Amino acid sequence: MEDAIYKTLPSAEAKELNIQVLVMEFLGDDAVLLSCPQGPKESEAFVSAFLKRCLPGLREEVIQERLNRKAVILEHSIKQKKKQKRKRRKGLSAKEKRQLRLFEIKPEQQRYDLFLPLHNLWKQYIRDLCNGLRADTQPQMIQTKLLKADLHGAFVTVKKSKCPTYVGLSGIILQETKHIFKIITKDDKLKAVPKCNTVFSVEVDGFISYIYGSRFQLRSSERSAKKFKMKGSIDL
Amino acid sequence: MTAHVKDKDAFQRLNFLYQAAHCVLAQNPENVGLARFYCHTQKTISKRLVLRQDPSVKRTICKRCCSLLLPGITATIRQRRHYGQRRTVVRCLSCGLTKRFLNNPNYKLWAEQLEALLENQPKSAQSPNVQQTQQKEKKNVKSDTK
Repeated sequence: MEDAIYKTLPSAEAKELNIQVLVMEFLGDDAVLLSCPQGPKESEAFVSAFLKRCLPGLREEVIQERLNRKAVILEHSIKQKKKQKRKRRKGLSAKEKRQLRLFEIKPEQQRYDLFLPLHNLWKQYIRDLCNGLRADTQPQMIQTKLLKADLHGAFVTVKKSKCPTYVGLSGIILQETKHIFKIITKDDKLKAVPKCNTVFSVEVDGFISYIYGSRFQLRSSERSAKKFKMKGSIDL
Repeated sequence: MTAHVKDKDAFQRLNFLYQAAHCVLAQNPENVGLARFYCHTQKTISKRLVLRQDPSVKRTICKRCCSLLLPGITATIRQRRHYGQRRTVVRCLSCGLTKRFLNNPNYKLWAEQLEALLENQPKSAQSPNVQQTQQKEKKNVKSDTK
């Protein structure tokens, strides 16, 4: 095969021979060589175009760099597959939960009358929790029960707040997060009221209890396990 | 009859949350998010206080996205054959997780068995206390001898 190349090539192209022989060996037929351009500039352009076509995964600068080193590997580059770590977790991570927006209430469903049954259910639950809520029960006992109770569905009003616009808001609690109560008001608006620096009042069958939001900055699920201290400094 | 249950408040709370999720979904079947939130808090509470929940409750909550599985609304339930056995396949519509339950009439869950009832195991509940008191007595004896 080498002989065939020398015959077809003019002697002037002896410099470029190296490269072209490489090309020949790779492809293994004369047809490419015959169509090769004959001038030094043209052949250079041809090589670069050829390499670009054969190595689609590489950028032009990378190819040039490799040509300068004179070590050209014309093999099919095998991409090393990265071993993916298999997830053993079945559940979603917190980030995925946020992206999926699992816990959001859509604006069409923000209607006050939809959540009245929830409020009734909550009333039943509180009555059941406090053994019937008679007038002679001690308020302290109810307070300790209410601390551990669930507040979703409770009707609350904002009594005091550092921000005056919140004062007087009243509605049913739909969600309780670490720092925020999400309240739906009677005029079908979903309000997010921060717990910090706010005092809420909850009314159950004549018993009115106040919630100091600054002391309440916990997730509602964490609250059931927490021990509250009897004495605490009350600011605000 | 009703013996003193240890975490009565917490159990009541779990019950309320489960009912609330049902209530919300019954009012508006579109409002999956809020029901999911309640089920999520329910799950975290039971995790935190280490309270076991009944299989009938657990099986109606999606393990991955915590949504309440109601057939036709948030889940599909199919009977499928798998390796020659019939299974009930529950698929959550929001995240696509499937649960498979074998249809075996002879199988009894632990909660359904007679031993699991509280009345039938007072001895096992008392015995650790007895042992503890015995140990305390032993310790007292030791301290006396010293």
